[in-house]
Amino acid sequence: MSYIGKSVKRIEDKRLVTGKGKYTDDIKIPGLTHAYILRSPYASANILGIDTSAAKSAEGVISVFVGTDIEGIRGVPTGWQVNFKNGDTMKEPAHPLLVTDAVRHVGDAVALVIAETKEQARDAADLIDVDYEVLEAAVDPAEAIKDGAPLVHEDAPNNICFDWELGNPVSEVDAALAKAHHITSLDFINQRLVPNAIEPRSAIGHYEEHNDHYTLYTSTQNPHLTRLLLCAFVLGIPEHKVRVVSFDVGGGFGSKIFHYTEEALVIWASRKINRPIKWTAERSESFLTDAHGRDHVTSAKMGFDKAGKMVALKVDTIANLGAYLSTFAPAVPTWLHGTLLQGLYTTPKIHIDLKAVFTHTNAVDAYRGAGRPEATYLLERLVDLAALEMNMDPAELRRINFIPAFNGVTEPGYQTQVALQYDSGNYHGVLDRALEKVGYKDFRKAQQESLAKGKLLGIGFSTYIEACGIAPSAVVGALGARAGLFESAQVRVQPTGKVSVYTGSHSHGQGHETTFVQVVADKLGIPMEDVDLVHGDSDAVAFGMGTYGSRSLAVGGSAIVKSVEKILEKGAKIAAHKLEASVDDLDYANGKWTVKGTDKSIAFGDVSLTAYVPHDYPQGLEPGLDFASFYDPTNFTYPFGAHIAIVEIDKETGKVTLQRFVAVDDVGNVINPMIVEGQIHGGVAQGIGQAMLEGAVYDESGQLINGSYMDYAMPRADDFPSFEVERTVTPCPHNPLGVKGAGEAGTIGSTPAVVNAVIDALWKAGFKVKDIKMPLTPERVWTAMNN
Amino acid sequence: MKLEGIHTLKAERRVIWVMIMDPDLLVKITPGISELVKKDEFSYEAISEVKIGPVKGRFKGELSLTELNEPESFNLKISQNSKIGNVDAKIHIQLNDLGNEQTEIIFDGDAQMSGVIARTGQRVVSGVANSLTKQFFDALDKEIEFMKGVDG
Repeated sequence: MSYIGKSVKRIEDKRLVTGKGKYTDDIKIPGLTHAYILRSPYASANILGIDTSAAKSAEGVISVFVGTDIEGIRGVPTGWQVNFKNGDTMKEPAHPLLVTDAVRHVGDAVALVIAETKEQARDAADLIDVDYEVLEAAVDPAEAIKDGAPLVHEDAPNNICFDWELGNPVSEVDAALAKAHHITSLDFINQRLVPNAIEPRSAIGHYEEHNDHYTLYTSTQNPHLTRLLLCAFVLGIPEHKVRVVSFDVGGGFGSKIFHYTEEALVIWASRKINRPIKWTAERSESFLTDAHGRDHVTSAKMGFDKAGKMVALKVDTIANLGAYLSTFAPAVPTWLHGTLLQGLYTTPKIHIDLKAVFTHTNAVDAYRGAGRPEATYLLERLVDLAALEMNMDPAELRRINFIPAFNGVTEPGYQTQVALQYDSGNYHGVLDRALEKVGYKDFRKAQQESLAKGKLLGIGFSTYIEACGIAPSAVVGALGARAGLFESAQVRVQPTGKVSVYTGSHSHGQGHETTFVQVVADKLGIPMEDVDLVHGDSDAVAFGMGTYGSRSLAVGGSAIVKSVEKILEKGAKIAAHKLEASVDDLDYANGKWTVKGTDKSIAFGDVSLTAYVPHDYPQGLEPGLDFASFYDPTNFTYPFGAHIAIVEIDKETGKVTLQRFVAVDDVGNVINPMIVEGQIHGGVAQGIGQAMLEGAVYDESGQLINGSYMDYAMPRADDFPSFEVERTVTPCPHNPLGVKGAGEAGTIGSTPAVVNAVIDALWKAGFKVKDIKMPLTPERVWTAMNN
Repeated sequence: MKLEGIHTLKAERRVIWVMIMDPDLLVKITPGISELVKKDEFSYEAISEVKIGPVKGRFKGELSLTELNEPESFNLKISQNSKIGNVDAKIHIQLNDLGNEQTEIIFDGDAQMSGVIARTGQRVVSGVANSLTKQFFDALDKEIEFMKGVDG
């Protein structure tokens, strides 16, 4: 049975599209109570007093807890430590489950109300009287680091969490820039985004006294890591007494990687009241408390020689981390951003200087792409702008600077100036294919002709690289990760030859139940119907690192392949015994072992039955056919691609219409082309959303002023043309499937292509605008033309 | 949010001053206010109901007058709380005597919102504020005309 490379329809869709999905909020447990969290309406305030007496005596209320009730419990930790340039330890202020003396952002948790119904809990929360002393807030990260700015944490002077640098010595970069023929400089903002998973976060804590056992049902991308953090770092309860379950999850995009305070609260309080407790975020809470993404303020310079070759890149970035450190927050602007500044180019001198800053806003952490979209935006905006300034063709400027193709097997990987070694790439290949697909030469002609008719057409490029499946554990440990970044998989062959696969990856839209099953069925040569995937339950799956960073297939899939190989190896021994042949004389294909050159064979199901009924069995071999594996990759994987956007601007209104979007991505080998295409489509939509519509806006007092779907512009189907998506294939040389990861590529590549297209249209019409702040609202584009 | 504006009223400055210091009249002419109870000479407990775009709330809180410089100017401090969020405003109000029974009111201040009204209604808040201010002055105009009618 050959399944790899086929667009098999998604197995999970039957469940998901018929309303049979099992989301955390769907779970009902006898005796279930409901929690509501009273949140701070202010960005920064001292709490002078909390009166919960009226709430405690309200109808249906079981308990009300405030910060002082849980003193002694540590807050939620961060998973990465990135120290100051001078070696000083990163500032790591506590992130309490409930605040005690001060609130640090709108949405900070002040009290937990538990009642028989959600409505009762909510009504009771309204009766809590909190005496706030409202203080000035630090909101803009560039202002927050100035002397005299309000402090988010007393022990973080100038609100700096850490500063960090990477690349060549700054003196060498400055020297190269001084000699440059042309320097393109750009100051810009990569605005804050709200992840907006359609399923709000939800957690159920269920303590059972009879066996002193806890179950946490939670909408997470990362059940095992959540359990580890919850048990070992927050509540100090034994890990074997806790089961974390995350069945269906309705979108994560990174925002559900992290261990959130609410998960620990419902577990802790469930034991206190000895009843299960459910908390589900309201949409408004999701806006306020799901970790946000991006939020960089950057100043960058790129130097070129006379021929247009890049000679140096210098970057200064301020990254807003919000009020508290979320699980991956320190890694995102550093090891997932600074390390990508080589892009696809041979730039010999690169330096980034970065300040990570606390503000009185919600935490910022990994959001689809996590650091790589910021790096790509920075590079690709500079390259297109440089082409305009130097009057060069942006495609040609890229071509002369691209790293030449290398396969990573017979040709070595490419060592960057910023710590990474790319695995394999053919960057000219994706650009050439994209140019051909878009009809580049014809477009430039059409652009000129339409300009004569008063129409503003523009084309924008983005040629990106990204890093997925971050690993190996020893390397990420040296970079400050407090966890390993391997993956586990167990392949259990049942006596009848049916197969259960247990993965530590977590599927929440990626289609693992299809793709992973395709891999196993293909490798074992059995029908897909004979294979099922189990994920998202710490009692079923040995361990897992969860799904993020487009790692599932590259890392989790490789762990599965390792287990399948062990199954086949042991199966061959059993088959050899039954066939009275030597293992070396056997071939395995189409679900059976055959003695070479004969018609003597034994089917997979007969071997598995023999393994569990070992009457006639090889001496010394253990019964059973069940293997677990842990896979720790040797390197990241590096997908890449070329995205091209074509826009038209309405001169009268400034409205931008995206006419075409061409994406040629290379994500290595592909197991299911349809699923990959779907991932690219979704990713591109999110990236265009950032360019044209989205952006979280805090006012100067720290209020999120667009915290609803009436106020925050999510992209809709009619904002997009039909995407034109293609792939080239450059296999990853270091994992058994040759795959690189496809979950984030679309988001990473697409944003700068759209903005570049708008800038191109304006520039060609004589408006020499260097930058327009995202999102490119009609008002901003109109202002750029009428200033 | 910035709150600022100018309005010219057809009455003598001292008359205007007395009018806007009268809580009963203020309840009558201020849109949304349903109760204004004097706490002391210069502060009131206020209850109001206001609809801001998609959200509606019943607000409770304090209204106080400070730095009174009769009849020229005073500061108005409003702090209103509700389930949908809180509003805190500080407004400087200046009364200029234009002569000829005309008084110009200049107001200038800031309002800060929190809670649901901060994140769902912001786009329309300044529109709502302008409309409420207009309603207030229209009602005050009417009161002045009515008073003149009675006097005349």
